[in-house]
Formats: sequence, structure tokens, C-alpha cells
Amino acid sequence: MAKKFIPLLIMLFTAFSAPAWGKVYIDLAAPSRSALPVGVQEFRDLGPATSAQDKEKREEIKKELYDAIVTDLKFSGFFKVIDKKANIEDPSMSGLTEAETDFKSWRAIGADALVKGGFLLEGDKLTVEIRFFDCVTEKLVTGKKFAGSAKNPRRIVHFFSDAVYEELTGKKGVFTSKLLFVSGSGGNKEIYVSDYDGKNATKLTRNRSINLAPQWAPDGSRMLYVSYKRGTPAMYSLDLTTGRDDALSSKSGINIGGMYSPDGKKVALTLSGERSPELYVLDLETKEYRKLTDNNAIDVSPTWSPDGRMLAYVSDSSGNPHIHVLDLSTGNSKRITFKGKYNSSPSWSPDGRHIAFSRSDGGRFNIWVMGPGGEGLAQLTFDGDNRHPSWSPDGRHIVYSSSGGGGSLKIIRSDGTGVMKLDTGVKGEKAPAWSPYLR
Amino acid sequence: MKRKFIAFFPVLFLGLALATGCEKRIATEDFSEAAPGAEAPSAGKAEVTVPEENLKSEDVTAEDIQNSADAKTGGQYASLNAAEDLTQKAVEKGHLYTIYFDYDKYTIRESDMDFLTKNAKWLGINPKTKVRIEGHADERGETDYNVALGDKRARSIRKYLEDMGIGVERLDVVSYGEEKPAVNGSGEDAWAKNRRAEFVITAN
Repeated sequence: MAKKFIPLLIMLFTAFSAPAWGKVYIDLAAPSRSALPVGVQEFRDLGPATSAQDKEKREEIKKELYDAIVTDLKFSGFFKVIDKKANIEDPSMSGLTEAETDFKSWRAIGADALVKGGFLLEGDKLTVEIRFFDCVTEKLVTGKKFAGSAKNPRRIVHFFSDAVYEELTGKKGVFTSKLLFVSGSGGNKEIYVSDYDGKNATKLTRNRSINLAPQWAPDGSRMLYVSYKRGTPAMYSLDLTTGRDDALSSKSGINIGGMYSPDGKKVALTLSGERSPELYVLDLETKEYRKLTDNNAIDVSPTWSPDGRMLAYVSDSSGNPHIHVLDLSTGNSKRITFKGKYNSSPSWSPDGRHIAFSRSDGGRFNIWVMGPGGEGLAQLTFDGDNRHPSWSPDGRHIVYSSSGGGGSLKIIRSDGTGVMKLDTGVKGEKAPAWSPYLR
Repeated sequence: MKRKFIAFFPVLFLGLALATGCEKRIATEDFSEAAPGAEAPSAGKAEVTVPEENLKSEDVTAEDIQNSADAKTGGQYASLNAAEDLTQKAVEKGHLYTIYFDYDKYTIRESDMDFLTKNAKWLGINPKTKVRIEGHADERGETDYNVALGDKRARSIRKYLEDMGIGVERLDVVSYGEEKPAVNGSGEDAWAKNRRAEFVITAN
């Protein structure tokens, strides 16, 4: 008996106590095979029966709530959700308390944990309570009640997931974080924002031109992007709280690939000016540009180290595109990839220990991760054509665009497990950028 | 097998307690054993308010729409405006040629040099004509890099024309990267047609 607890203990201590002992990544120590089977009951409508139209809306809410909590549970990597077709207990007959739950019926389908919830729709207000039970000890683990707008039931569930995740791991959840991405074709590409799971996708640009390369400001209040809306590729900043749009850089030639510095005071970008595409840092206060590279090569796609001291970027100065790292204090650059015909879109992890990038050997691209000196190379994806990685704010996940099946966004854990395809309802999504924590 | 999970949650909390040093935060916050079940959530019970989503989209100006009108359609000569006919005629008559490039290259190919020279000659005998050189890349590679690549291609053409004596003020450049393919589809045939620099007459 005692022997059986050992792996469990190891898993828990390496996984959940990571913040205390500074382990690298929670997911590196939490293999998906030890995911806990969880049963999820359909949400119970706690309101009185009313008009037929209202009933339709409540059915829709019920579906959204269930889908959102299942998505969050799976995404966490700690649980595998038992298909609800297997559920025995009738949600309309059972309650939301321990006493009103037939734990035996949940154990019978293999559930070690159980999630039950109810909701109440009052006008535009939606109140949702969700509870988390241990089926073996038959005890309530945690439960919470949230109230929000009925327009967005999923958002309420994500707030619950954030709270429970933090309670269980000591780390902030990313369930309320968001994605920016590009979609469109034929000379019209617009930028969208969606929930982390791709849902609630909404258009942010509406200029009917080509809009590219969205990036978040470090506080999540603004978006940096490239647009052809005034003819040539220039850089703009959209304030997501007011809708105010500012031209940030519109020098002659190209103004592309901009990224805010971690303190939000500068933007690293590429300008071609009168000669060749070079890296610059634009000081947003003084509006002064500092030139970082000076050669006849292409230098693009800068990404800041979290301490703001270095930039990783792509340069073809050695003949084909490779990742380089530039030390901003000395101005010196060092090439850090030496294999692959095409290395691109570096993305520095939030803890500074890794750089994700995409690599092709003449054919399809795949996502790779390495240390900031190019050490510890690891390939994360192996099939399809996968590009443009971007880290979740907790560094546990990476979102990327995949061309498989007409193109979509996918999320993978940073240890290469748990691929999740996102359904945004928008086709041909590209260039995703994961937000910082938004609250 | 199942029994080993009995200890899951207690162990979990022990781990958490050690990790966070905060035992009290664990377990039931708002919910007691007596929490209402099938009834409506009772009034007065603490509920957390979820702030409403409030992301604003771009406030589009008339200037933006007007300037982006020429970027609306895809395909070859995607950005034609009033001078559309002129460009088309010049192409049909063999005065202006599209120049093609090798993969990930921005140097002008030996085989395309004749066509570029023809373009230069035509521009030489039509001194009022102004053109925009539009650089493009195929769909392989990354967005940013391809915009830079298209820029390099358009500029290498401008440099050549400049060296041939065409005033640089008549030569505008813009890169569309991989965003405006001449032909759709994947494979070397399509890619080869998309790695190009097009000439568009902007004034005559």
C-alpha cells in the first residue's frame, strides 16, 4: 500500500509545490498519464420554469457552461474528463451538496473527482456556482459562486477556473487570458481577439486592409500591430480600453515585427529605411530610434528577454534565416541556431529560460524550444506545418498556428504533450499572440 | 488501482500547505455543508462579481478606409487603382515585365535580367511615367521575414533601375510579403509565380 503512494507524492510535490522550490516547469513534472479522472455533471438550472424563449437561452447557457468547464479541466493537464454519456446520476434529480450526491454512481464510472454546478439566470445577470468533490472521500474540496453577464457564460467559468487553479497550485491561472491572431485572405486580413481556448473570437481591426503581427502591451491594455491601411506597412497601437488607434512608426520602407519591451516603454521593431531591414528600438517617450544592427541582411522578429536586456531575433546574415541573440548593453550579437534551413519567430519564455521558435529543414515547419544560448534543443511538434509560437503568461503552454486541415491554432504544453486544437469559428488563423495575465 | 486516489486530496492539500504556507485558504470558501442544493443560490451568500468584458475594437477613420481601398482584392496586380488600364496595357504590349526570384533570394536572376532591362528602357523613353515596384514572397517562411524579403526584392530592382539612370523619385517601393499571392495554391509552380516584383504605373 505504502508503495503506491510514492509516485503520487512525487507527482504532487514536483507539480504543485513548484513555486516554492523553483522547479523549472510545472508541466515538465506532471506527465499527462497521471491525469485524474473527473466526472462532470451537466449544469443544473436553478431558476423557475418560464417562457419558451427564455428556456432556449438557458439551454444554451447550460451547454456553454459545461463546455467551458470541461475545456478548462482538460487544459489544466491535471484531469481527464469522463465522457458525460457515461454519467449515471441524473442531474435533474440530484443536488449540489455532498448529501445529495450519489458518489457510488460516480465511482462506478471511474471518477475520482466530480464537478457539479448550477446556474440562475435573472435578466442579464447570470449567477453560477461550481463545486468540486473528491468521490473517494465523498467530501467537497472547494466551491465558489460567481455572478456576471449572461452574454458571456464562459467568462464566468474561466474566472472560477482561475480561482480554483490558484487555490490548488499557488500559481495564477491563465483561463482568463486571451489570444490575438490574424485571419483573412485576398488582400484583407484582420486581427481578432479570443479567449485562451479560441472561443468568443471578435474582430479588433476593421479597416479592410492587411493587418499583421499583433502583440500585447505588457499590461494587456494595448495591442501593437502592422497595417497597410495607409498604403505601406506601418506600425500602430490600438488601445483596447478606448478603441483609440495611434500610428506608432510610419517611416518610409517597412515598419514591422514590433514588440513592446517588458516595461512597456520601448518597442523593438524592424525598419528598412532607405537600405536594408535592420533592428531598432523605439523609445516611446522621446520617439527616438536606436539602430541595433547594420548589415545588408534581413533582421526581423525581435523578442525581448523578460529582464529587458536582450533581444532574440531572426537574421539571414549567415545565408539563411537563423536565430541570433543581441545584448542591448554591448550591442553584440551571437548566433544561437546552427541547424535547419529556416529558423524563425523566436518567442522568449516568461521565466527567461527558454526560447521557442519554428524551424524547417526545407519542408514543413515545426515548433522547437531551446535555452537562450541555443543549448538544450527540444522539438515539440512533429507533424503538419507549425509556426509562430507564443508562450502563455505562466510559461506552461505555447500557442502556435498549424496549417493542418485548412489551418488552425493549437496549444501544446511546453513539454510537448497535450496538444489542443482551438475552434475559433474563424478560418485560416495565423500569428497568435498569448496575452499577459489580464487581471 | 482506484484506492490509491483515496489519499489524493489530503495529500494535495498537505503539499499545498507546505508550498504556500497557507492552510486556511484551502477547501470550502463560500460553501458550507448546508449550501443550498436544488434551490436557488440563497441571497446574501458571498458571490464574486465577474467584471464585464470590455475590449474595444479599432475606431476606423475615413482616411484608413480610403487608403486601404487599393489593398482590398488579391491576385496579381492586386493594388491597381486609377492607373490600372495603363499598367495592363504596358504589360500586354511587353513594356513592363514582372521579375521573378529564387526561393529566399533577393538578387536578380540572370534569366530575368533581360526583362528588367526592357522595363528600364521603356521607363527611359517615358520620362513622366512613375511606377510602384511591389515586392512579394511565396507562402513559405514567416510573415515578418517575408515582408522584409519582399522589401529587399523591390529595392534590388529599384537599385538596378537607378543604376540604369532612372530617377529614384519615379520609383516607389512597397512590400506585401506573402500577403498577396499572384496565384493561390501550394507547390513549386505556385510558389515560383508568387516570388516576384510587379510594376504598377502610378502616374503617366
